[in-house]
Amino acid sequence: MASGLRSLFRKEQVSQELDEELSGFLEMAAEEKMKQGMSRKDALRAVRLEEGTVEVAKEVVRSAGWEFFLETYWQDLRFAARMLRKNPGFTAVAVLTLAVGIGANTAIFSVVYAVLLRPLPYQNPGQLVTMFESNLQKGIKEAGCSYVDFTAWQEQNRTFSFIAGEAFHALTFTGRGEPSELATVVVTPQMFSILQTQALLGRTFSPEDGVRGAAPVVILSETLWLSRFGSDPKIIGSAITLDQRSFTIIGIMPAGFRVPFFTKQDIWIPLAQDPLFSGWIAQPPSPHWLPVIGRLKQGVSLAQAQADMDSVSSNLAKEFPAEDTGWTIRLTPLQQELVGDVRSALLVLLGAVGLVLLIGCANIANLLLARATSRAREMALRQALGAERGRIVRQLLTESAVLGLLGAIAGILLAFWCVHAITPFLPSGLAQFGAVRLDGWVLGFALALSLVSSLGFGLAPALLSGDAHLEANLREGAARSGEGGRRSRARNFLAASELALALVVVVAAGLLLRSFIILTSVNPGFNVEHILKARISLPRFQYSTPQQWTAFASELLDRIQAQPGLKDSANAAPLPLADGSINLPFSIADSPPLPPGTPNTADYVAVSPNYFRVMGIPLLHGRTFNSDDSPSGRRVALINETLAQFYFPNQNPLGKRLVFGFPPNTNVSREIVGVVGDVRDISLHQAPGPMMYVPFAQEPFWGADVVVKSALPPSSVVSSIRQAAWSIDKNLPLTDIASMPDVLESSVAQPRFRTWLIGLFGVLAALLAAAGIFGVISYSVSCRTQEIGIRVALGASSQTIRSMVLREGLKIAGAGLGAGSIAALGLVRFLKSQLFGVGAADPLTFFGAAALLVIVALAACYIPARRATRVDPMVALRHE
Amino acid sequence: MADKPGDLVQGTLDMLILKTLALESMHGYGIAVRLEQLSKGVFRLNAGSLFVAFQRLQRAGLIRSEWKATENSRRAKYYALTEQGRKRLNNETREWGRQVAAIARILEAS
Repeated sequence: MASGLRSLFRKEQVSQELDEELSGFLEMAAEEKMKQGMSRKDALRAVRLEEGTVEVAKEVVRSAGWEFFLETYWQDLRFAARMLRKNPGFTAVAVLTLAVGIGANTAIFSVVYAVLLRPLPYQNPGQLVTMFESNLQKGIKEAGCSYVDFTAWQEQNRTFSFIAGEAFHALTFTGRGEPSELATVVVTPQMFSILQTQALLGRTFSPEDGVRGAAPVVILSETLWLSRFGSDPKIIGSAITLDQRSFTIIGIMPAGFRVPFFTKQDIWIPLAQDPLFSGWIAQPPSPHWLPVIGRLKQGVSLAQAQADMDSVSSNLAKEFPAEDTGWTIRLTPLQQELVGDVRSALLVLLGAVGLVLLIGCANIANLLLARATSRAREMALRQALGAERGRIVRQLLTESAVLGLLGAIAGILLAFWCVHAITPFLPSGLAQFGAVRLDGWVLGFALALSLVSSLGFGLAPALLSGDAHLEANLREGAARSGEGGRRSRARNFLAASELALALVVVVAAGLLLRSFIILTSVNPGFNVEHILKARISLPRFQYSTPQQWTAFASELLDRIQAQPGLKDSANAAPLPLADGSINLPFSIADSPPLPPGTPNTADYVAVSPNYFRVMGIPLLHGRTFNSDDSPSGRRVALINETLAQFYFPNQNPLGKRLVFGFPPNTNVSREIVGVVGDVRDISLHQAPGPMMYVPFAQEPFWGADVVVKSALPPSSVVSSIRQAAWSIDKNLPLTDIASMPDVLESSVAQPRFRTWLIGLFGVLAALLAAAGIFGVISYSVSCRTQEIGIRVALGASSQTIRSMVLREGLKIAGAGLGAGSIAALGLVRFLKSQLFGVGAADPLTFFGAAALLVIVALAACYIPARRATRVDPMVALRHE
Repeated sequence: MADKPGDLVQGTLDMLILKTLALESMHGYGIAVRLEQLSKGVFRLNAGSLFVAFQRLQRAGLIRSEWKATENSRRAKYYALTEQGRKRLNNETREWGRQVAAIARILEAS
C-alpha cells in the first residue's frame, strides 16, 4: 500500500529507479553474453530480443500495481476534459441539455421525496392510522366519528395503544394588539401521546386536561411564541384570552410540529375546552364529525386492527341500533390518507420529467455518435498502436461520465433555483409534509441520475466505436470514415425514439391542458365578478346564544348596506368553494321512507335574503327568502334543482316539507318555498349534488362569510366592511378576505400547478426532440454533400432536393410518432384519475399532439433541407 | 520454459524467489541467473515478470530492497528476505512438501 502511494505521488523518482534497475539488469545480461564471446552490439540485441525493451518491461511492472489503474484513470479524465474543452459547442449543448433534464428531475423528485417517501415527522410513523366511519346504506363514504362512538372505541379496542380525535376552529385572540384569529386545533389529550413529540418548553396535555370542567389550558406553536410573545420563556403559566376566555399556557411545541390534516396550526387546546363541546356534540345522537387517529400497539398489523374495529362497530350497532346501524370503521395508514390523490399527480409528473431526461440523453447519444464517426480515425489509430478495445470503451465512457457530472452539477444548481421558484406554487395541502428541499437523498438521486444517464448516452457510441474497421478507417478520409450502416441506423433510431417519447409527454400535457380548460370553463352556478368575501367569526364565549348571532349578522348587514355602493351584500355559511360544505341527512315529511340504499343527504347552507341576487344564482320556482323569514316566522327552506328533480320527479316540490337541521336541532320540519339553480360548492370538478338552503335568521352561525358585490375598488370595500364590523364591536377580526374570482382560481390551484408543469415538460420534450431530428438530418445532409452535388449537376431542382431531405425527416418522424402513439395509448391510463371532461384516449388530443410534433420536426428539418439546396455542384464534386 | 508467472503453478514463482534469497541478498539479475541455474534451465524468466514479482513481494513485506554496489562496482538494487518472508518461506516449503507427498501417494496408489 505504502509503496503504491509512493509510486502514485513520487512517480518520477519511482520510474527512474525502475529504469535504472532494469537497465542494470539488461546490462548484466549483455555482459554475460559478451563473456561468451559476442560483440557488445550483438549482445545487447540478443538481450533485447529475449527480454523486450526496457519500456515494455517497465510498462508490465507498472501495470501490475493497483496505482496503475488510478493513474490511467486520471489520464482518461484529463484526456476527457481536454476533448470537451476542444469542442466547446458540443460540450455546452450536452451539459445544458443534461442540466435541464437532471435539474427538472431533481426538483420534481424533491417534491416526491418530501410528500411520498420521507417518513412523517413522528416516531414510528408506520404505526399511525386514520379511522373514519362510513355508512354505505346512507351513501356516506367517509365521515368523522361521533363523539359517543369515539369514547366507546377508546374503551373497547384492543389493538391501539392510543386513539385521539381532532377538530379545527379559529379562536379569536384579544388583549395583545389588534384582535386576530388563531388557527386552533382541538384535540383529545391522547393526541400528544400518539404523535410522541416532546414539548419545546413546558408540557403537553395530560389526561386530566381533557376532563370536562378542567381549567382551560393551551399549547402554543414556536412560531406564534416567537411572533407574538418574543420567545419569552416566562410565558409558561401565564394566561391569554381566546374567545373572551382565559387560557393558561402550559407548553410550546417546536416549529414544524403539526397534528395531521390541518395546514395552519397556531395553538392547541383540549376538546373539553372547545366552546362547542359543552353543547350538543357530546350528547347522543351526536353528529359524525370527529376525525380520529390511532397508534397501533407494537407488532399489530393493520388487518388485525381492522378486524378488531369491525367487531367494535358491530357491537355498537347491536347496542345502539338507532344511531349506529350501518356505520362501519375504515382504517387507513396515515401517510396514505394524507397523500390522497396527490400521489398519482406527482407520479405522472415524475414520469413525464423522466421522459424529458430520456429524450435529452438520446440527444446527447446522437451527438456522441456523430462525434464518434469523425473520431473513427483517431480510434483506429489507437487500436493500431495496441490499445485494447476495453481501454477505448473505458475512455469513451469516462468522457460521458465527465459530461454527466458537469450536467449534474449544473442540474443541481438549477434544481436549487427551481425548488425555490416552485415552492410558492405548491398546493398548500402539500405544506403539511414539511419543507421541500434538496437534502442528502435528493442530491444522491441527482448524482445517481447523472451516472445512469451518462451510461445511457455513452454506452451505445462507446460500444459501436470498437467495431470500426481498422484499416478501412485508417485509409478513408476523416469526414466520412466510419459512417457505417449500423451507426446511421442507430442515429435514426435515436431520433425516432426521441419523437416517440416526446409524443407521450405532449399527449399527457395536452390531455391535462384540455381537462384544465374544460374545468375552468365550468359554470360554478354563481357569478364571481366584482364579488368580495370576508369572514367574521364571533367569539363564542361572549356571543354564546343564537339570538346574539342573528342580531349581530342583521346589524352588520344593515350597516354595510347603508354605505353607498354596497347595497348588494349578503352573508352565507358556508360559502361555496371557499369554505367547503356541510352535508346533512334529511327526510321528506308525509311520504313513505326512501328505499334502503338511497342517499338522503344534501349540502346545507344558511343565507341572508339577498344572497341569491348577489351571487346571481337563478330562482327557478317559487320565491327566495325575505324579511318575513325571521326567527319567529314559519320555518322555510329552498332546494336546488338537483334535489327537486331527484326527490320530486314530476311533482311540484313547492309546499312540500323537508325534515332536517343543523345539530342539535336535527328534526325541524320546513316548507319548501322555492327552487334555485345548482351550484358547485365542493369543487369545480364535482357535479352539483342536492342542496338545501335555510334563512340565516332562522338558523344562525357564530361565524359567516359576508359577500359584497360592488363596483368600488376592493380595498375600499374591505375597509367599509371592517368599519361596519368595528363600529359594532371593535374586537372583531376580519379574516379570509378574498375576491370571488381568486377563490375560484385557488380552488383549481392543484390542477393548474400540475398542468403548467407538465405543459412545460411537453415544450421541453418537443424542443429536445426537434434538436434531435435536426442534428440527424443536418449530419446526413453534410455526409451526402457529394451525392447532392451530383444530383444538382444532373439537373435536380432545389424543390426536389428539399423534398428529398424533408422526406427523410418525415420518415423518421413517422416511425417515431407511430411508436409514440402506441406507447401513449398504453400509458395514458395512469392519467385517468386526473382528467376532467376528456377521455384518456381523446382522439383530438392525440391527433393534435402528433400534428404539432410533425410540424416541429418539419421545421427542424427545413434548415438542413435549405442548406442542401444551396450545394454548389462544382464544390461538392471537388469535395475530397 | 515459462514466460509468465501464470504458467508456473500459482504462487510458485514467489516461493522460488524467496528460496533464492534465503541464503544471501541478491540483485534482480543475480536472482534470474540463480533460478535458471538451480532449475537447470527449466525456469527462464524475463525481466518484466520477475520485477512484477519483486514489487508484489516487497508490497507484501516479504522482501526488502537496498541499493548497493555489485562486485563489478555497478549500482544495483539488492533484495533480501525479511523476517516475515523467512517465516512464509518455511511455511510454504512445509506445505509444498506435504502436497507433493500427498500427490505422489495418490499417483502411486493407482
